[in-house]
Amino acid sequence: MIRALLFSTLLIQLLFGYNYDDLVLKAQSSIFPKIMLLDKKVQNKLIDNKIIYTIVYDTSDYETALHVKEYINTTFKGHFGKYPYKINLVDFSHLSPNTEASALYVLKSSTDNIKKAADIAFLKGIISFSYDVNSLKYGLVLSLMIEKSTILYLNTKYLHAKNIDFIDSLLPMVKFIDKNGI
Amino acid sequence: MKYSSKLFLLLCFTSLQLQAEDLVSSIFTDMKQFNVIATQTKQNEHYQPYIISVLHSKELEKLGISNLKEALTLVPGIDMATDNFNNQTPIFRGSNPFAYGQSKLLIDGVVVNNLFFDAYSEYLSMPIEMIKRIEIIRGPGSKVDGINAYAGSINVITYAEDFKGFESNDKLVFKYGSYDYRMGGFVKNFRTKEFMTHIDFYYQKDNKKISSGPDGLSQGSLGAANVGLSQSEKAPLWLDEYSLGLNVKYKDFTLKARILKHKQGSAYGINLALPQDSDRLKLPSYYAQLGYAKKINDFNIDIKAGLQYGAFDSKAKLVPDGANLGGVVFLDGAYGEHYAKQRVLYQSSYVKYSGIENHQITLGYRVTQEKTIAMTSKLSNRATGDAALVDYTNTLPFFDKDAHRNVFALSLQDEYDVNDKLSLLYGVNYESTSYKDAGFEPRVSLVYYKDFKNIFKAMYSCSHRNPSWQEMFTQNNRARVGSTDLKPEKVTSYELAYIRNFTNESYLQSDVFYLVNKNQIYNSATDPVYRNSAKTDIYGVELEYKGHIFANDEVYANYTYLDGRYSTDGGKKYNLPNVSHHLAKGYYIYSFSGTLSLGSTLKYVSSKDRAKGDARSKVKAYTTVDTSLNYKNRHYNYTVNVSLKNIFDTDVRYPSPQNTYVDDYAQARRTFLLTLKKSF
Repeated sequence: MIRALLFSTLLIQLLFGYNYDDLVLKAQSSIFPKIMLLDKKVQNKLIDNKIIYTIVYDTSDYETALHVKEYINTTFKGHFGKYPYKINLVDFSHLSPNTEASALYVLKSSTDNIKKAADIAFLKGIISFSYDVNSLKYGLVLSLMIEKSTILYLNTKYLHAKNIDFIDSLLPMVKFIDKNGI
Repeated sequence: MKYSSKLFLLLCFTSLQLQAEDLVSSIFTDMKQFNVIATQTKQNEHYQPYIISVLHSKELEKLGISNLKEALTLVPGIDMATDNFNNQTPIFRGSNPFAYGQSKLLIDGVVVNNLFFDAYSEYLSMPIEMIKRIEIIRGPGSKVDGINAYAGSINVITYAEDFKGFESNDKLVFKYGSYDYRMGGFVKNFRTKEFMTHIDFYYQKDNKKISSGPDGLSQGSLGAANVGLSQSEKAPLWLDEYSLGLNVKYKDFTLKARILKHKQGSAYGINLALPQDSDRLKLPSYYAQLGYAKKINDFNIDIKAGLQYGAFDSKAKLVPDGANLGGVVFLDGAYGEHYAKQRVLYQSSYVKYSGIENHQITLGYRVTQEKTIAMTSKLSNRATGDAALVDYTNTLPFFDKDAHRNVFALSLQDEYDVNDKLSLLYGVNYESTSYKDAGFEPRVSLVYYKDFKNIFKAMYSCSHRNPSWQEMFTQNNRARVGSTDLKPEKVTSYELAYIRNFTNESYLQSDVFYLVNKNQIYNSATDPVYRNSAKTDIYGVELEYKGHIFANDEVYANYTYLDGRYSTDGGKKYNLPNVSHHLAKGYYIYSFSGTLSLGSTLKYVSSKDRAKGDARSKVKAYTTVDTSLNYKNRHYNYTVNVSLKNIFDTDVRYPSPQNTYVDDYAQARRTFLLTLKKSF
């Protein structure tokens, strides 16, 4: 009975998607691509001279991922700074180390999926952004919350990661957080 | 060559640095912009120095909530009350259920309480489709910029609030429901780079009539001689109204204006005698406010000037055929036309100064001139009993035609961020009027953000409610008589709150409050003169949860417990009359897919004690359940909603005062509503 209930819960989550805050999605869509450009090693992450901004979503959240893509396109109109970009929408089930990505933007999902995304981002040496600040404890790099004001959270673990090197002037703008603080 | 390479690298590095600085600056600007939006839209509500609940119409529409009144009944601590005019009033935390004006209604920041009652019943029927968001602040902590909120304030935000880059809110709406209810309306925004215009319009009418039980005559409201003339029929509670709202923004200037032509049935009668079906009360409301807001260095200047017109305009049969009033027999009944038109002019100027690190100091004033500008009073001939109307405007007016009041309010406050986690707000308001003054009223609140998940608040504040026009200036009336000697009602409140955020979308808000209310204004059927006759101490707990059980649902639930003591000056203490001690409300929305959802609301309101000397049994507790099915077609962008309200046909009654309508004021039973909405 309990298994059936858990299975139903899982099934429902798979079918109908997570809840998102529209303003947080918009703030993240406006700010995360700019933060990516503050990585001194962004040149190394270009693929065919383009930034590939990959949104990783749960099957049920396709509409949300599409909404984010549309908002980014409306805001940035084809270029993150001087770099042309392409947005890829990738289902967690299709995410692998071979997935083309200059950065990952990870929507909500199960802990296993979040860990998988974090591991792949780490392996590829790219920045991973998270919708949910709680997901930083599974290894994602950056998130944004709207609290009394807008707060950027940076996972302390990645402050000195070898493939990610943010310019110094970003650092006063972020709050550092480690997995014990989440 | 060597030097030119170095120069090239240096230039590249400098260029990169400049780009980086531009980016950081752009991120900083974005963050500030989202801070502004979050503050304006109350996204960061839990960090504000007051207790606030925010209802979003996106969810309310899915639930089949029809109008502002229905939405407010979902809020913690709020119960509804009504009177013989069917002047419906949200009662915050049990504070004086028979008074109006203890809460303020603001539409896009403009106060719309009418001057006559200091109520806003005519706006409670505002369709939910015209509303983007409702912010409800409980407690006097809501006092801002010279506007006295005594027990709470309701800020209705329309779709005039439009942020660049967010989706369009233009729409066309039609509704049909029980009591032959029909509604049509639209919302349209026009935007250019510097110019923004918002228009909303709605028209709605119904033919609602609800059984009243024996009218007030049965209780001797018109004397023992007329008890036998008491009627027990349906009270005309119909509605016929339209409204046109206009908001214009050009650079730093704003214009906010609205015309509301509100007409309703005469309900339970001015003299507590059931009126005729076609008898009516008009409560029109017109306002226009010009604003100028500008940031100059560390100063934010906010200047507003506005005018508001409202009227009490009644045309009704006042007493039944054969009534005997002071020895004069009205064989064909007595009729009356009462008209009092009011005008409010106001101007306010506030300056916020943020030049001192971690401080934001606000200083400003608001001056208001309130005035009755027209009054007529016509009645059937009081000397002969002839039904034909006689003009008594000068000889026996129902209202003081020269009624006027000037109000001057001054406020000073400082919002001080002590550190990253602690903020302190303190200030004082001073108000004087051409009648009794409220004087100085301090306010202090502390907000401590332990972390994102844990927020603590402590608040102390004082506020007041000036007597309403009818409490001061009504004359020659059997049910209510005004007095200009009335002092403002006063409240001192102590509140503690704890908010536990679980995620961006789910939280638990809890608070305890203690309110000391003095100079409470009451009258009664046996003593119709309004007096500062009571004192109440009210305390309670409010719990509010919003979150999810599954990923595809939304849950909202709240519970309020309140209790207290009521006493007349120096007299014995009694239980709070006409107040429910337990309120539990909530809704559940289950989305079957991105297009189809099922919603349900549940409200429980516990029984209410009667006032001292009222021998009737308690007002009964009730539970109502509404349900609603919502279909949204994403391709053609239309929505269909079918809702069934009060599905178990529960008998809901709002309390009536002693010696009036003995069976209280019955509300609608089971009803349905169909809504069609096309978005553009």
